[in-house]
Amino acid sequence: MADLQALTQAVGELDEEKVLGLLREFVATNPGVEETQQVVNACQQGMAIVGDLFEKNEYFVGDLIFAGELLTAAIDILKPVLGGGSSEKVGSIVLGTVEGDLHDIGKNIFKSMAEAAGFEVYDLGIDVPAGAFVEKVKEVKPQIVGMSGVLTLALDSMKKTVDALKEAGLRDHVKIIIGGNPVTEDACRQIGADRFTTNAAEGVKICQGWVK
Amino acid sequence: MTDVAALARERTQLFHDVLDGKIPKRVPVFASFPVEFCIQYAGKDLVEVQWNHEMLEEVFDKVCRDFYSDMLPVNAFRLPSFYKLLGARNFVMSSGGFLQHPEVEGMAPEDYDDFIASPYNCIVEKILPRIYSELNTDLNTKAIAFAKAFKAFYDEMGYLGMLYGKLTQKYGYAVVNLFAGFTEAPFDFMSDQLRGFKGISIDVRRIPEKVEAAVEAALPLLIKAGTPPVVNKNDSTFIPLHMAPYLRGKDFERFYWPTFKKLVEALAERGLSSYLFVEQDWMRYLDYLYELPENTRMRFEYGDPKLVKEKLGKKHIISGFYPVSLLKTGTKQQCIDKAKELLGILAPGGRYFFDFDKVPVTLDSINVDNARAVLEYVAANADY
Repeated sequence: MADLQALTQAVGELDEEKVLGLLREFVATNPGVEETQQVVNACQQGMAIVGDLFEKNEYFVGDLIFAGELLTAAIDILKPVLGGGSSEKVGSIVLGTVEGDLHDIGKNIFKSMAEAAGFEVYDLGIDVPAGAFVEKVKEVKPQIVGMSGVLTLALDSMKKTVDALKEAGLRDHVKIIIGGNPVTEDACRQIGADRFTTNAAEGVKICQGWVK
Repeated sequence: MTDVAALARERTQLFHDVLDGKIPKRVPVFASFPVEFCIQYAGKDLVEVQWNHEMLEEVFDKVCRDFYSDMLPVNAFRLPSFYKLLGARNFVMSSGGFLQHPEVEGMAPEDYDDFIASPYNCIVEKILPRIYSELNTDLNTKAIAFAKAFKAFYDEMGYLGMLYGKLTQKYGYAVVNLFAGFTEAPFDFMSDQLRGFKGISIDVRRIPEKVEAAVEAALPLLIKAGTPPVVNKNDSTFIPLHMAPYLRGKDFERFYWPTFKKLVEALAERGLSSYLFVEQDWMRYLDYLYELPENTRMRFEYGDPKLVKEKLGKKHIISGFYPVSLLKTGTKQQCIDKAKELLGILAPGGRYFFDFDKVPVTLDSINVDNARAVLEYVAANADY
């Protein structure tokens, strides 16, 4: 049995060597699916610590990016023992940087933290037209739509996307969160989103609140 | 004409005084509007004008006519032609006509040793072909692509230089060039152009010694890049700062600060002040900024203007802090009150010129009436 507490702590400290070392040892013991799930949970708890330290200004954006990378590496090691059933998803999110904006660093941080928290994330990429959001929402029926943008012009595109979801009769089936440098409470209201954030960790908490 | 010449002299004197650390007659105003804003303001098509620089004269003229500034308030920092000719992946026009900088990784983690041994060779031989698809080919084709792009670059920049001069004369703007040179802090250069935000964030943790050696290796190139051929009085080199707010303090101290400080000092030795765009919030780093050579110009985006005035106001030249977002959401009176408040904090003792916290990139990111009102208010109400 792996030392779950040590693992959680090492993830929280972003100690890559230690995390990957512990996981390799664990995988070598040929663990069962249930046991592996506990290890995944321990990693997720470590990511929650990372989020808290970010909110306390002990970690910064660069650390969040590394945390996402660390988690990807961790899951890669665990894959062979995760089994086909893998983990139960807590919810699903259709995510993208809106039309006219090519920035994706913030979106990618949110994505990796949301995945770490157990969400299924459908990432549509950058410069995503409203129609593409609508099509994907129709197809996968997510609980949440996440829109990201860095430029102020992204706010217009976010509004267009919300309007397109309304037109397609999908607005009431999803919660909408917007994120990125230009979003504010005012903008959120005008756009018709449910919540806004400029902090990926907070964004994930908001989503968790919605799927409880 | 003589009136305009006298106006230009007076305005130039305002900036010289401020930049020399003397108290000027009044707080000078430097509003700056990027090309995209100007095109939209003139009611023209973004893509069309960015591809036809002759159309910029009318576009820029309208902004100069309608917004108060003591220094030329317009610029086109980048145009698509030369990037497109190179097949650039680091500057790309979006569907809406905005040239943007997507995350690129021109340098792989395995390239560090080569880069450290010879940054210039590594950039030319390995990195440029990855960032610019037209350079990823045989030698002759590459040479032609390069020549075409530079021809376009010099045509565009030559035209713009002529236009800036013409508008400066026409409107009697101060003759001081804050953008005489352009460079980046070594860590920002490694991040923005070579490894990407993600790549560098990982490298800092996985291969810290290499990152440290790489920024040292890049420093001489960046000093050279930031040194213009001719230096006039009070010209400066523009250095937009990027990554520091996203780093932990101890990473900043190790990877960012040492070579950035050396860069600013080296430029100062060549008679150039640095004009820093202090992007995001640098309040954690004010004691470091204090250490830079006297009269370094710093345009702040976010943070506490009082704290900045207190810590840096006697040594450096401050600008910025005026929230562009307020110009969108505030009433005219709220906008003017904000200007009053900032003047009250930042103007005493000089070493301050008025500027927004960042440029408004699109027309609808501000209410233009508010912007005009604020600029006119400051121009008329900030005598010493």
